[in-house]
Amino acid sequence: MSRAMRILASLVVIAIVAVALGVFIIRGPGPLDFAGGTKVALADYRAGKPTGVPAKLEKASLVERGEYLAKAADCMVCHTKPGEKDYSGGLGFKLPFGTLYSTNITPDKDTGIGNYSDQDFLNAVQRGKRHDGARLYPAMPYTSYTYMSDEDVLAVKAYLFSLPAVRAKAPENTLSFPFNQRWAMMFWSAVFNPDTRFAPDASKSPEWNRGAYLAEALAHCGECHTPRNLGFALDNRKKFAGAITAGWHAFNISSDKATGLGNWRDEDLIAYLSLGHAPGHGSASGPMGEAVDHSFSQFAPEDIRSIVAYLRSVPQVASPDLPATTAPVAPASHKDGVTADARGKKVFASACASCHGWSGESPVSPTATLTGTWAVNDPAATNVAQIVLSGTKRHTPDGALSMPAFGEAYTDDEIAAVANYVTARFGTKGSKLTAKDVAELREQTAE
Amino acid sequence: MATNLTINGETKSFDAPPEMPLLWVLRDILGMTGTKFGCGIAQCGACTVHVDGKAVRSCVLPVSAVANRAITTIEHVGSTPSGAKVQKAWLEAEVIQCGYCQSGQIMSAAALLATTPNPDDADIDAAMAGNICRCGTYVRIREAIKQAASGRQS
Repeated sequence: MSRAMRILASLVVIAIVAVALGVFIIRGPGPLDFAGGTKVALADYRAGKPTGVPAKLEKASLVERGEYLAKAADCMVCHTKPGEKDYSGGLGFKLPFGTLYSTNITPDKDTGIGNYSDQDFLNAVQRGKRHDGARLYPAMPYTSYTYMSDEDVLAVKAYLFSLPAVRAKAPENTLSFPFNQRWAMMFWSAVFNPDTRFAPDASKSPEWNRGAYLAEALAHCGECHTPRNLGFALDNRKKFAGAITAGWHAFNISSDKATGLGNWRDEDLIAYLSLGHAPGHGSASGPMGEAVDHSFSQFAPEDIRSIVAYLRSVPQVASPDLPATTAPVAPASHKDGVTADARGKKVFASACASCHGWSGESPVSPTATLTGTWAVNDPAATNVAQIVLSGTKRHTPDGALSMPAFGEAYTDDEIAAVANYVTARFGTKGSKLTAKDVAELREQTAE
Repeated sequence: MATNLTINGETKSFDAPPEMPLLWVLRDILGMTGTKFGCGIAQCGACTVHVDGKAVRSCVLPVSAVANRAITTIEHVGSTPSGAKVQKAWLEAEVIQCGYCQSGQIMSAAALLATTPNPDDADIDAAMAGNICRCGTYVRIREAIKQAASGRQS
């Protein structure tokens, strides 16, 4: 070998090592690596059954089991455009580099997945590979679904194929270069998709393993609640530490006491997941409201408890942007408490006070109480502004309670002012939103 | 579903879905049409009633949320001390023009006086901002609330 060749060869080796090291560093740990216990193959795990459906559905038909799992994986919310047929796709995800539309997953042969074989479906859900070989964008959380067992994925397929075929073609994506190069997702997938099935942890309880499977493989909590790394993949070094997703703040759900779930009681977590409201902690809205309505509220009680057991084990990660404690109840009179932002107060008096009260404790319903919620204690006020823009609807066992959307009724300036007033009056630290911030939030929400 | 509500001190029983707004129950089922429908999204105040003495918008309030709570409507507010004062002042100051929003205005004013017997302008603004009047009777509303508070004649 000549000297030049040797230098070239060393450079190539160095480059390969550097790339491999870079990939290793960026990729970080997997979603379950924190547990650190002994993993066993699913087939060899005898202590319990982490996959599949709860006991009451054990004897149910394949389609019924698939329905439970499809709801647990929350397929419908993303694959349905509001007002259109279930699972017929077309929901737009506004990203900084264009809009991505969800696909029709009804069994229509031309516009849906009617031609998918079992293997095609497994490839799409677990590997992000389409029937025609093209790559899916990771807006489809296949890096989470990859942990689903083949049996469960195919049960979901059986359920989807039992639904009426809907002819509906999603609009073309409007992504800009280089993001419109689907083939490049091959490299993304090679680095960030573990393409591996759930492996139980023998050192943990059967309940924990069921919770881990539900939270990671199906409910894909991390897709919103875990911050992303340089490659837009989940950064599990800060697992469940909270992130901004689709213009909403998905708060810290690690076991951190001050800013995570560490101080929530089990019954609070159970109520929040199954009803979308926990007394003193506020109500689920935006994407989490949808997750509760279409997914968690349909879970069997023992599955909710498993998720709670699992969440408890996720290591503490603090959110430095949030206060250590939430603010207490505000004074009953409008005159006491903060006086800043006269304009925000004016909007609050006319549009908000009749339901939320001047103290923040709603005279109408505990679901409308502002005191104690992360939204009003978040100095970024993201979710306060979002809920004012788009409203919310909570389905409770006693019926639905809704807040109207004010996005069309008020200017960005007024919404910023009322959000700043609300966070100052009911939270620990007032926000400093501007009209521009509100305009950006409008842009980020899904269509 | 059979529902019981305590309205104006009486127990009323009726069939209504739990998510039906209280306003619909009042007007369409119980025939109590003094409470008005305005915007339907808690933004105009025409539908204001009292729940445990607090002014709330009945158009967005599911009937299931007010079980076991004391509801007072415009039909009965005159028999509460603050409601009686407000109604008297309203007549003396001739507040009303077309009248559509006025049952809501009176309910909000009565709730204000029950907790704040001598409201200043800022208190009135804070309590009445959610009640809109198309005729623009705001000046007379403010005057009547002050009259009701002080007990003086116009």
